[in-house]
Amino acid sequence: MSTAYPIPSDISPATVKNTASLLRIVALSLISGAAIASRLFAVINFESIIHEFDPWFNYRATRVLAAKGFYEFWNWFDPTAWYPLGRVVGGTVYPGLMVTSGVIYNILHFLNLPVDIRNVCVLLAPGFSALTAWATYMFTKEMKDESAGLLAAAFIGIVPGYISRSVAGSYDNEAIAIFLLMFTFYCWIKALKQGSALFGTIAAVFYFYMVAAWGGYVFITNMIPLHALVLVLMGRFSDRLYVAYSSWYAIGTLASMQVPFVGFQPVSTSEHMGALGVFGLLQIVAFAQLVRTHVSSQQFQKLLFGSVVAIGVLGFFSFIFLTYKGKIAPWTGRFYSLWDTGYAKKYIPIIASVSEHQPTAWPSFFMDLQFLIFLFPAGVVLCFRELRDEHLFVIIYAVMASYFAGVMVRLMLTLTPVVCVASAVALSTLLDTYIDPTEPVADDDTRSEADSTVTSNGSSAPSKKAKKAAAAAVSAPSKGPLSDLVAAATGSAHAGTGNITTGIFGLDSRGVVVLNVVFMLMFFVFHCTWVTSNAYSSPSVVLASTNPDGSQHIIDDFREAYYWLRQNTPQDAVVMSWWDYGYQIAGMADRPTLVDNNTWNNTHIATVGKAMSSSEEVAYPILRKHDVDYVLVIFGGLIGYSGDDINKFLWMVRIAQGVWPEEIQEPNYFTSQGEYRIDDRASQTMKDSLMYKMSYYRFNELFGGNPGTDRVRQQQVPKEGPTLDYLDEAFTSENWIVSLFPSLSYLAPHHFFRSTSDASNCICSRNSDSDFVSMSLLVLPRW
Amino acid sequence: MKFLLFASLCSLLALPSSFAATPQEQLALLAAAGNGVIKLNTETYDLLTSPKRTWSASIQLTALDPRRRCGPCKEFNPAWHAVARAWHNVPAATKNEHFFAMLDFDEGPTVFQKLGIASAPIVFNYPAADGPRKPKNGNLSPVKYDFSEGFDATPLASFLSKYTPIDIPYKDPIDWMRWITISIAALGAALLLRFISPIVQNKWSWAVVTVITSLVMTSGYMFTRIRNVPFNGGNGNWIAAGYQNQFGQEVQVVSFIYGLLSFAFLMLILVVPLQSSPQRQRLQVYLWTGVIMIIYSVLISLFRVKNRGYPFKLFL
Repeated sequence: MSTAYPIPSDISPATVKNTASLLRIVALSLISGAAIASRLFAVINFESIIHEFDPWFNYRATRVLAAKGFYEFWNWFDPTAWYPLGRVVGGTVYPGLMVTSGVIYNILHFLNLPVDIRNVCVLLAPGFSALTAWATYMFTKEMKDESAGLLAAAFIGIVPGYISRSVAGSYDNEAIAIFLLMFTFYCWIKALKQGSALFGTIAAVFYFYMVAAWGGYVFITNMIPLHALVLVLMGRFSDRLYVAYSSWYAIGTLASMQVPFVGFQPVSTSEHMGALGVFGLLQIVAFAQLVRTHVSSQQFQKLLFGSVVAIGVLGFFSFIFLTYKGKIAPWTGRFYSLWDTGYAKKYIPIIASVSEHQPTAWPSFFMDLQFLIFLFPAGVVLCFRELRDEHLFVIIYAVMASYFAGVMVRLMLTLTPVVCVASAVALSTLLDTYIDPTEPVADDDTRSEADSTVTSNGSSAPSKKAKKAAAAAVSAPSKGPLSDLVAAATGSAHAGTGNITTGIFGLDSRGVVVLNVVFMLMFFVFHCTWVTSNAYSSPSVVLASTNPDGSQHIIDDFREAYYWLRQNTPQDAVVMSWWDYGYQIAGMADRPTLVDNNTWNNTHIATVGKAMSSSEEVAYPILRKHDVDYVLVIFGGLIGYSGDDINKFLWMVRIAQGVWPEEIQEPNYFTSQGEYRIDDRASQTMKDSLMYKMSYYRFNELFGGNPGTDRVRQQQVPKEGPTLDYLDEAFTSENWIVSLFPSLSYLAPHHFFRSTSDASNCICSRNSDSDFVSMSLLVLPRW
Repeated sequence: MKFLLFASLCSLLALPSSFAATPQEQLALLAAAGNGVIKLNTETYDLLTSPKRTWSASIQLTALDPRRRCGPCKEFNPAWHAVARAWHNVPAATKNEHFFAMLDFDEGPTVFQKLGIASAPIVFNYPAADGPRKPKNGNLSPVKYDFSEGFDATPLASFLSKYTPIDIPYKDPIDWMRWITISIAALGAALLLRFISPIVQNKWSWAVVTVITSLVMTSGYMFTRIRNVPFNGGNGNWIAAGYQNQFGQEVQVVSFIYGLLSFAFLMLILVVPLQSSPQRQRLQVYLWTGVIMIIYSVLISLFRVKNRGYPFKLFL
């Protein structure tokens, strides 16, 4: 057997095996290191700080857990949120994240390592990303082999689609959920392959952990039954499937019901009915199989088949009937909006208003997945070539996840793992083919010419190879690459014995392809690093901009304002703001808020929206009724921060309109030409609204009395600035991002910090013509 | 009887008689004549929206004349008439509490000027200004209908029902054609199943469906569906500016590029190793590697158009 390049022949197989496994361990630990390191940009560029919105709540809850213990956390009623309603925190959270960090914190303290709980929270996501890389390795190993597993682990370690949710400081449920997702899937595949109740139980345990950690567990709840259903429909029912599914479903469902927030949902809502239905179906099919082995009569088997179908149909209709009678809750709105894409905008504007729930344009896919996005279909095709049970799982996952990721930006997170797995399968197959040193036996040109004529004729042929080619030609009687593709796909060419006829000739062909792959991988690394450092590592609590001379300018207005609140107001001063900032106010300023990112009470949010969008006279009684002491407004017009309240204002109007259609009407906030403007031509309703007045209050003074320019909207504000009669300005942060307005009845400490000189010298890259940069700055409220 | 005959004669002649009946009765007759919709002109508009009205009214301001070239007006008009006809079927006592009317631009340009309207169609809902149905909060200004849910009749009816004395009994007509088509298609599929079952059972037909689905989805197809973006921007401009935006044509181009790159990789993996002649194989290796490099460069340059801050580029 000739080889393309010399390979040492005097090494024992045991040495090869040991070296390979050592290299794998080294590679995996390096991948883990890279995964953790690439998530630390945020800590290095800024500081060890909790990011964004939801993480602030998780952090606050974790602090309670760490300080007071689990039972206090479990029974925690938070009177400062949703003032005056309060919130039962223990029963309305997925506690998995907090408990995880609490356990880590306690272990570290048990080992006498006095680590601050904040650092545990900040570094939890990078730590779990290393575990995700390992889980993906295990999963992909089941699909192909170890080398594909290593590639997949490397991909998921640094791919921006996953980093976007797991940088240091992004202390959110997704941080641990993707690891749990991949590990549950791995256990499921393992259970299915071996028919092992043990792995089924492990899958159920991790499923329970996932249920406790993230609302996205519904994805697993539907993926596994769908896989099982497809297997049954393809006639691949086996005892292995029965054991794996039954053990997973029975234990997993019982365990998931222990989470208070989930409760009886697994037996009463539509999202979970698929799993229950498949469980029932498997029992019926298993019973039918059992009876078939014992009974030989043809008629009886027919009868059995009929009864199986009848029971299935009956079950389906009883499900519809129960839904109709209200015994089973229909799809929840958030879930339903995935299928009927117009649903959310019509009926639940609060869901449609969140920028993460917007559909995904193609640049986002490319940005998050780069070259994996086009290797991924190739990997799916390779899965079809082999089509073992576990490959079906990847195929179903690929279709479902690409649809979901297209509908909602945030679901890119569920697409990313399968893209990594499929493209790792494709790339590792490519590398296997082109690194393999075995040289095939070359046919001379005349032979191959003869072969191809034989192929096209489809007649019998003398040589072994021609027979195979003829076999291929039967299924696709065309000549050339297509028939080759079919031959390759149907696997007939792999039956070669004796002389190896498939393979790559020569070193240069190998070299070209391998170099190309290496180059693409390197480019991928550069891309990921760039995206991570530029787009996904901003804490969004602290903003960075570049000064004209290239140095970094930190804008720390949020914390400035929250600390002002903390230090200058009484502990029980109620702050009203739009819901995006509720968790931050609670976390950093420690003051009661009217609404926060939990968004469970639409009417309460609409009340705030109404107050913001009505005139002062209308808004003031609302503020008084809710004991509001301060109103917090985010305004980016001075420095060009596009995620401010004026840009979110239309959603406030829309949500208020949903509850009070008589009083708030969206069209009134547009000019007669239907434009959304803030300058002289703005509609009167707009100019009278509390939000507009608070945002532009005394704005012109910064420009020496001349009309100032709003840098986000690129419009000049009216020469005559708005006046406030009922509210007064209490505090405005350095760059004017946060303003606080106390109600007049409250004795406000008049404290102004305004650096008027700042208006001219703060030129922010955020507002530059590059769309991308301003994208990275959009405030992404997430839940 | 004689009086009624006379009055309806008057209304047929579109002469709002001022001596015979109260304004409300006149309007009722006009509505009856127009099959539920009062065709307004400047005078009847003032009558309908008089400050002493005890009735409420929904008015469609439109421009149906072909010279005005208002496509949306034509599109919306049937829905308006359907809802008005539904209201026309309620009992007479409640029916005359609320009127449906329409004003064409060519019939009353002065009204359009007075209201400062430059676009059509627009739906205004005038609450009753007097009498028992006067709104409690005293807000008498007309409410504008927001077309964000399209020109369909159902959302219009549910919006207007908030202002009518009783809900508008509007029901979507059953789309018989659609159901017939669906049932014929289902029947046909069931019959065809015998002939196409080899295709259905072949895994490669499923593979094609799967791959095309994921290619189309990852090229932003759902974005174009949900946002209703145009196919292209006109004047040969098919790339939408902005990172978070795209046109319909971009889906085709991008999914084609992805598909071609995937195909090139599959050729390298599956087909090239089967070649038994070294020369042909070498040629194919270089061909597909070249295709990958060039198309990948095209993709990167396309991405740079969308995301101008992107620092990397390949050969293009």
